[in-house]
Amino acid sequence: MKALMSVAALIGAAGILLLAAMTVGIVPSNTVRLLEGYMPVQVVFELILFVAGFTGISYMMAAMGMAFPRFWQGILMWTFVILYLKFRIYPPIPFSVRAMYGAVSLVCVFMWVSANEEDWKKFKQPIMNVLDAKTGGIRILRYAYLIILPLLIGGFSYNAMVPKSEEPIELRTVHPAPPASTKVHGKTYTLQTSQNPYRVNLEGKYDQDYSNAMTVEQGMGRLMKPNANPWDKDAQGYLKYVREGGEIFYQNCHFCHGDNLNGRGLHAFAFNPIPANFTDPGTIAQLQETFIFWRVSKGGIGLPNEAAPWASVMPPWEQHLTVDEIWKVVLFEYWHTGYYPRTWD
Amino acid sequence: MKNSFSLKAGALLTTAFGIILVSGSTGGLAFAQGTIPAGFKTGALAPEPSADMIEAGKRVYFTKCVWCHGVDGAGDGPGADRLWPRPRNFNQGTFKIRHTASGELPLFDAKKPTPGQNDLFETVTHGLPGSAMPSWEGILTEEQRLQVLSFVTTQLVKDRKFTDKQSESQTILQLGDLTPIAPTEESLKKGAELVIEKKCVECHGADGRGDGNAFNLKDDWGFSIQPANWHKCWNFRGSRQDPYNVKNIFRTFSTGVNGTPMPSFADNTTVEERWHIANWVNFLCEREADGKPLAIDPSADKPKINFVVSSGLAVGEISADPEHESWKNRARRYVAMGGQITHKPRNFVNRIDDIWVKSLYNDTHIAFMFQWDDRTKSVAEGKLPWAPTSVNVDIKEQEPKTGEEGSIASHQNNYTVYNDAIAMETAVKWKELPSPIKPRYLFGSNEQFPVDIVKWEADGSLRAFKGTGWDKDFEERLNYEENIKILFSEWKNGRWTVIVQRPMGDKKEQEYDEDTFFEMGQYIPTVFFAWDGHNGDAGRKMAVSAFYYTFLEPPTPREAYIYPVVITFGVVLLEGWVLTRRSNKRKGKAL
Repeated sequence: MKALMSVAALIGAAGILLLAAMTVGIVPSNTVRLLEGYMPVQVVFELILFVAGFTGISYMMAAMGMAFPRFWQGILMWTFVILYLKFRIYPPIPFSVRAMYGAVSLVCVFMWVSANEEDWKKFKQPIMNVLDAKTGGIRILRYAYLIILPLLIGGFSYNAMVPKSEEPIELRTVHPAPPASTKVHGKTYTLQTSQNPYRVNLEGKYDQDYSNAMTVEQGMGRLMKPNANPWDKDAQGYLKYVREGGEIFYQNCHFCHGDNLNGRGLHAFAFNPIPANFTDPGTIAQLQETFIFWRVSKGGIGLPNEAAPWASVMPPWEQHLTVDEIWKVVLFEYWHTGYYPRTWD
Repeated sequence: MKNSFSLKAGALLTTAFGIILVSGSTGGLAFAQGTIPAGFKTGALAPEPSADMIEAGKRVYFTKCVWCHGVDGAGDGPGADRLWPRPRNFNQGTFKIRHTASGELPLFDAKKPTPGQNDLFETVTHGLPGSAMPSWEGILTEEQRLQVLSFVTTQLVKDRKFTDKQSESQTILQLGDLTPIAPTEESLKKGAELVIEKKCVECHGADGRGDGNAFNLKDDWGFSIQPANWHKCWNFRGSRQDPYNVKNIFRTFSTGVNGTPMPSFADNTTVEERWHIANWVNFLCEREADGKPLAIDPSADKPKINFVVSSGLAVGEISADPEHESWKNRARRYVAMGGQITHKPRNFVNRIDDIWVKSLYNDTHIAFMFQWDDRTKSVAEGKLPWAPTSVNVDIKEQEPKTGEEGSIASHQNNYTVYNDAIAMETAVKWKELPSPIKPRYLFGSNEQFPVDIVKWEADGSLRAFKGTGWDKDFEERLNYEENIKILFSEWKNGRWTVIVQRPMGDKKEQEYDEDTFFEMGQYIPTVFFAWDGHNGDAGRKMAVSAFYYTFLEPPTPREAYIYPVVITFGVVLLEGWVLTRRSNKRKGKAL
């Protein structure tokens, strides 16, 4: 038990030191990177490590006879959560959301310290001690509190009332409901029944199993299957169209959606919201191919009313590309990210 | 032609390398006589990567890289012709960012992904900011990055061989052993003198905005190339996602930038001099008012963006002098610009990628100061062959695939020159727009919810337009122009400063249906447009920003002084109550 706890304590201490150093900037802030697409898992994992670490530290200190009062444990834990949310998570989350998480964790901390009568008493003890002020030292502390507390609260309320400018928060509908059909270059496509004419096997038949088998591998790097190179001179059918779609993508789309389809293109940083990240499992992986066809063809101006704030600079690509070119780009986007389009059945 | 010297030097240098490349047998190249410049050491060539690595790298290359760099690595992939700078042509083995001496191959060892000892690995890891080359960290694993480089260096570099001891040498800058000199006032002063003495300013411009010799520089492949703008260090190709690190600057001009007119200064400067220059160049990079580096957004490697442009209350008239106290004390806001690639003619290469905005207001007017870097002052030479207000004009735009001759890179500096210009667009009836208040489209929602555009051009004109929708031409507002005024405009050493004043608008007295009403304390949707005349920018071929918000800072209300005092007093009372209660309780217990 002791060995286990000392390991945990070590992890905790190392983690806190690393985080602090990264925040202050002694260690480069990208030492432990939050990876795109893996961030939620990573954050949960880190938090588990820290909780284990804290448990270890408090156990070790108790074992060494320097037990840490429950009161300070609670306060430190809460402070840690607040700081973690503020400095670790990137891109930063807005204050209102942080305040929400902060409130929830405060409730959790209270539940923890008041789990039973004895703990609650221990937790209250330091507060009561200050109120009673039995020794000279604590009396001074009490007077300090009496003076500082009103000043602090007064200062906060002044701060809150002085006019400030903060970016208005925008919520965005990620996947607006699609229309039943869409008319592109004079032809009507029913979203329920349309198929990508280029998702075909070597015989030229629509074949999703065939194309799924030829798409890039999931996992780090998302590399193509060794025997399915669209740049192979003899590539036919699906793979040939993937290459043609890729050519169109790197002539038109990568400026915003990025060389790796992650929404980090050359111009992306200028726009708000930033362009869609196709490698994120929440975008094209959740949608049918026809939905993408509709979005690409109609662009930002084709967004339905409920998809506010529209503020999208996505062009209606029907103005620049042919129907065939749009289908090929859609084909390429699924190939390059390794996702399978959703089907209706 | 005061710039001809550096041009000739650049040409000579490139020819010299050319000759050495062709002869290929001199060995040791620049420092064959054992005259190794200060700070460098001779290193050994890295061993050839294993066949497995090369084969695995091919798979990475044909998934990720081929789209820009091409099947044979000649920098001619499908995406190449619409990019500037063009993707690297690997065939010649010419690489920009290195620790090796000028003209030498970069460091690459498939077994050693160590910082400072593997130039190509770092390039792939951190990308080349300011170009389309992204950072591949977090996308490709370390192993995959080494694999793809094994493939590129052995199969696609065709004119040179990384392992040929006869023709190649490695003279390596020992950056890890050199300690930077603190950027004291004295060091900066020396640096400022050295950039003149060493003729850096001939290309990089008197203020370092890259405007010195912007028209005549070509790279090894004959494409136009622009000297770096020292004020935007986050766009330095060699910034390695750490733009304010002085070591990156020191490295770049110790080793030169192969393939470009940028020579190595290792031979004609001491190490100490180089630190002074690096300190000075680093000092010039844009900073906060207190001198701290700008916060950089790690996901974009550009300065962090705040979408609120706040306007401060001016006492009396708004000053027309950008050096006036009232302007100098205003905080400035960084506005990022992207190419307008929704309407024809699309702008794939926007040469203005950011502007700085300040704003002041008084009872009747609001003024905006725009400052942006533009290497060339452009005043229209030709007449625009289409109405600048029209949208989706039927003109030939850059074809997707043209070959090198027709590519955007070879068009640079050959465009018909139009006016440099800046414009701002605000929503007219922003208050009535559904929440959150933004027009539906960049160029206005519709007739009912138009936008109000004020555009300044380098020929001295200031005009107003109305935008009524995504695909609608702008309408010129002739009756409005007398209300708007240019307070200041100047192009100096690669930077435009323009101050434009316009009425605040007022719901009661003015036509609220046509003008934006700048109401205090409210968020007014605002968009910025910029044109670089030498990039052929005109009409909708321009750089655009996202929606920002103009916010007129209200003066502090009286309540902000009263309530906090009341609250403080309340807390004191509360404290008294708690203490009394506690002591009563204890007394009760004691009794």
